[in-house]
Amino acid sequence: MKKVVIPGEILFEERKRLGSNVFVSDGKIYSKVLGITDNENETATVVPLQGPYVPRRDDSVVGVITRENFAGYGVNINSFNECFIPKSAMRTPLSLGDVIIAKVSNVSELKEADLTFPKRMGDGEVISVNPVRSPRLIGKNGSMLDILSQGTDCEVFIGKNGRLWARNGDLELLKKTVKFIEENSYKSNLTNAVESLLRK
Amino acid sequence: MDRKIDYKKTKKRLDGRKMDETRPLSIKTGVIENADGSAYLEWGQNKIYAAVYGPREVLPKHSADPLRSVIKVEYRMTSFSVPQRKRPGPNRRDQEISKVLGEALSRAVFVEQFPNTEIGVYVEVVDANAGSRVACLTAASVALADAGMPMRDMVAATGVGKAYGELVIDLNKDEEDAPDAVDIPIAILPNSEEIVLLQMDGLLTRKEWDAIAKLGIKGCKQVYEIQKKALVEKFELSEAKGKSQVAKEKTVKKKTVKKTVKKVKK
Repeated sequence: MKKVVIPGEILFEERKRLGSNVFVSDGKIYSKVLGITDNENETATVVPLQGPYVPRRDDSVVGVITRENFAGYGVNINSFNECFIPKSAMRTPLSLGDVIIAKVSNVSELKEADLTFPKRMGDGEVISVNPVRSPRLIGKNGSMLDILSQGTDCEVFIGKNGRLWARNGDLELLKKTVKFIEENSYKSNLTNAVESLLRK
Repeated sequence: MDRKIDYKKTKKRLDGRKMDETRPLSIKTGVIENADGSAYLEWGQNKIYAAVYGPREVLPKHSADPLRSVIKVEYRMTSFSVPQRKRPGPNRRDQEISKVLGEALSRAVFVEQFPNTEIGVYVEVVDANAGSRVACLTAASVALADAGMPMRDMVAATGVGKAYGELVIDLNKDEEDAPDAVDIPIAILPNSEEIVLLQMDGLLTRKEWDAIAKLGIKGCKQVYEIQKKALVEKFELSEAKGKSQVAKEKTVKKKTVKKTVKKVKK
């Protein structure tokens, strides 16, 4: 059964395979964050309901250029550290405020991310969402992303860092739907609910 | 205060509470939109806002720790929170409380997960009536959990002490001003019962101390239950419903109501 747990709440008193956002103390498994757990699962894991974005290797992110110097650009990827891309990685020069998409190639022990394959995105809008809820915007095998882009006729790119870039189509409807998904991300039957929301 | 008051005789406290009864406590989360996590707490007359920002870049940079995140707490009392106007700037007491709150919270948060960063915790006392530091710690802990910080446990805090000859929990201002008053703010991590804050004003016997420590831990666990409720109640695990689904349900309801009305008329 699914249950909302708070940090430090006991999940299991017996041994179990450990998933994410849990820790072991005195042989008992505790939750690390405010989130949802399913005690019928084989692994003890908690899906967080809130939280900051912590970069991981192979994440696709949406970044904004915040600084430029002789060697390259400073990129804000919604993490607590600014990233850097060298000018040699870009074919055309970037300017402040430009939006790029990139992949995280490596994360240091100080959680500083290295970016590769940066690509400048043209005119469009960036929508901020809660980073821990962005997987629900993508869905299983991109199912929710397909529903979103087909339902709103928008060209959509979702970064794991809680930023969504979109252009063309009905942007207002997209924003409304994204907000709906964000608010109901922990509820069941979300895909059907979103489909019914987008149905005209 | 009247020196003739004796709780041993009255069996009830000045405000009608039992000796081991806390003032009414209520907590609400997510009250500040701009913050990453926030909480509003009312504990008796105490009214407190707590907001959490971060993890973010540390400023000034020399205060950064490359192995862990630094929790920076700012405790402030508004100038209208006490009967006589308080000067709005930070004073010695504010600095001391900010420091002890930060140390208590650092024990609860997994600070090693965010090296070279700071977590800003801002607590603002809007109305005060004794026990504001424990109320702030309770609110700050809820705000941190609301911000999604990885934590070992919540920090639950309460005031305990002695007033008018009896050991009491959660002293109010009149009791703090009693001639024999002893005020002990205590905060624990409820699972391990590890004490993260303990300060004391006044004198106690060893026997009284043993009893008071038990009373404090019992009080903190009551506070913990309220913290838990406040965090969980925001998220209701039900089915998500789209607009057309809601509209369908409404029409079905209307139809059933019409049918029943018809039946009744018949």
